[in-house]
Amino acid sequence: MIDLDKAAHKVSGFLSERIPVEKLNFHSMVEKKEVPIHKMSWGYYTGGLTMFFFMIQVVTGLFLLFYYQPTVSDAHVSVEYISHHVAGGALIRNMHAWSSSCMIFCAMVHLLTAFAMKSFEKPREITWIAGVLLLFITFTFGFTGYLLPWNQIAVNATKVGLQSVEYVGQYLPGQLADVPRILRETFQGEASVGQSTLGRFYALHVVILPLLLASLLGLHLLMVQLHGMSQGVDKPAKKAEKFISIFVFKDLSLWATVFLALFVVALCIPFDSFLPFPLLAPFNALGSTPQGIKPEWYFFFVYYPLELLPFWVILLASMIAVTVMIFAPWIFKGTSRRTLGFITLSASVYLVVMTVFGEQIYEFFKH
Amino acid sequence: MSLCTTRKHLLDLAEPALGASGFAVFAALACCTFFSLPAFSYPEFQEFVEKHSHKTVNCAMCHTNENGPVGEGKGQIGSLSPDEMKRLNSARGALEAGQNVDSPILNKFGNEIIKAVGKKKFVQLKSDPSKLFDALPGKSDLDGDGIPDAQEYMDGTDTLNKFHGDPGKLFFVNLSRYKLHIVLAIIAVLSLNFGLLHLVKGISILQSKKGD
Repeated sequence: MIDLDKAAHKVSGFLSERIPVEKLNFHSMVEKKEVPIHKMSWGYYTGGLTMFFFMIQVVTGLFLLFYYQPTVSDAHVSVEYISHHVAGGALIRNMHAWSSSCMIFCAMVHLLTAFAMKSFEKPREITWIAGVLLLFITFTFGFTGYLLPWNQIAVNATKVGLQSVEYVGQYLPGQLADVPRILRETFQGEASVGQSTLGRFYALHVVILPLLLASLLGLHLLMVQLHGMSQGVDKPAKKAEKFISIFVFKDLSLWATVFLALFVVALCIPFDSFLPFPLLAPFNALGSTPQGIKPEWYFFFVYYPLELLPFWVILLASMIAVTVMIFAPWIFKGTSRRTLGFITLSASVYLVVMTVFGEQIYEFFKH
Repeated sequence: MSLCTTRKHLLDLAEPALGASGFAVFAALACCTFFSLPAFSYPEFQEFVEKHSHKTVNCAMCHTNENGPVGEGKGQIGSLSPDEMKRLNSARGALEAGQNVDSPILNKFGNEIIKAVGKKKFVQLKSDPSKLFDALPGKSDLDGDGIPDAQEYMDGTDTLNKFHGDPGKLFFVNLSRYKLHIVLAIIAVLSLNFGLLHLVKGISILQSKKGD
């Protein structure tokens, strides 16, 4: 029989080590905080950048909310209206689209650098797990937001995505096999992707996910401030800079510069111009599925392998990857930073190759 | 299918006359035979653009309906009203360049093509669709995105959507178009950075004084 007192003692011991109450004050968390300076110091800025892009998402998303209509009859028209008739609407929509991609890119880079720097080491396990969950939420943001313009690629890609969720059930034992189907039905809301799906994805995208993300981000930031920046390298850095004012200024300065770059890109390159125009036409339920349906670029690393390999291989690989990511603080407890760096490099090469050359690799093996 | 549809349409038009005399029936059928040509679509152009641009395009590049002129849908022959049929037949008669065309089965770009090259030359271009690039007016830019229609035809992008074009070309066109906005944004960011620097410096001086 489990000794409840012992278990409670263990949990409270774990939490008190990870959440030192005596440090919960402005002096310890802000004034006293220092940031080490070493060859990997740039990695400390990636988290801030991700948060900055999230802030842009919130602000531009609020503007889009003024005009967007989450109904199958009006969604596409309202997006067209925003782009063509609302003053600054095209810019805001483009900034929203570009910054969503930038947010996902920065979140992935942040996770990879944090892994290479072994930033998950005790007592930062909660920070790490919150970060991994934040990355998953960010991907879900991308998936739910993709449907909202209600064009050909949006609806057809969502259909494929939801269908993939249901396939997972085939490989699960017993009653668990029904869970993916129930999940798909819950999010889809009707027999095919339609009004209920759009309504649910809209609610997820603008209310549920932002609330979840804000809560987890709060926890993540609290933990970062409580424990300070991780050492990052094997030898403790000889130099450090004050969090207030040097690091904060550098961070804000970087944000301003990145904002300028985002503004110029959003002003000059419409995000939709990367897609063939037939895919941007309003979804036609009676029409045939157009060619070239694929997810956003940040899902290519799983999409192209999924097209080439059996479903169970990708499912197994994904489950292993997710488990390893979540339990990294315990799995890689004694691993050197050199080994972690090698793993990170391999993962990065895979991600870049599948994202940039995934289509060519697919064509090569299929023909 | 389109021929049948058109015949049906003409017979509908001639319906009041049918009861009048056998001659009217003959006249209607003659109309059907001589004036209602089958709805030609020209997939050679679509195939060329897809091959050249490596992008998926569909009939909506030139036609009103994304599935082309044949069918019963919006902008397809089977659904045209008598007035639209009249406009269609008038457009079919635009054999030479320079005639204003307003075919209901073509979109603005499709009509522009027929106006610029004429139906006769357009049909000839089927054998080498790349020559349509030279045949189209170099300055015509229906969507006003800064990329000429002829270039958009080669790039496989939407000639009627100012937010769709080759990303690289759009970047340089818009960079030049919005240079004032960009300069103002640069000034704003530099000013912000300058202000932040002094604000944070001030805070740190205050903090060090407090520490003393």
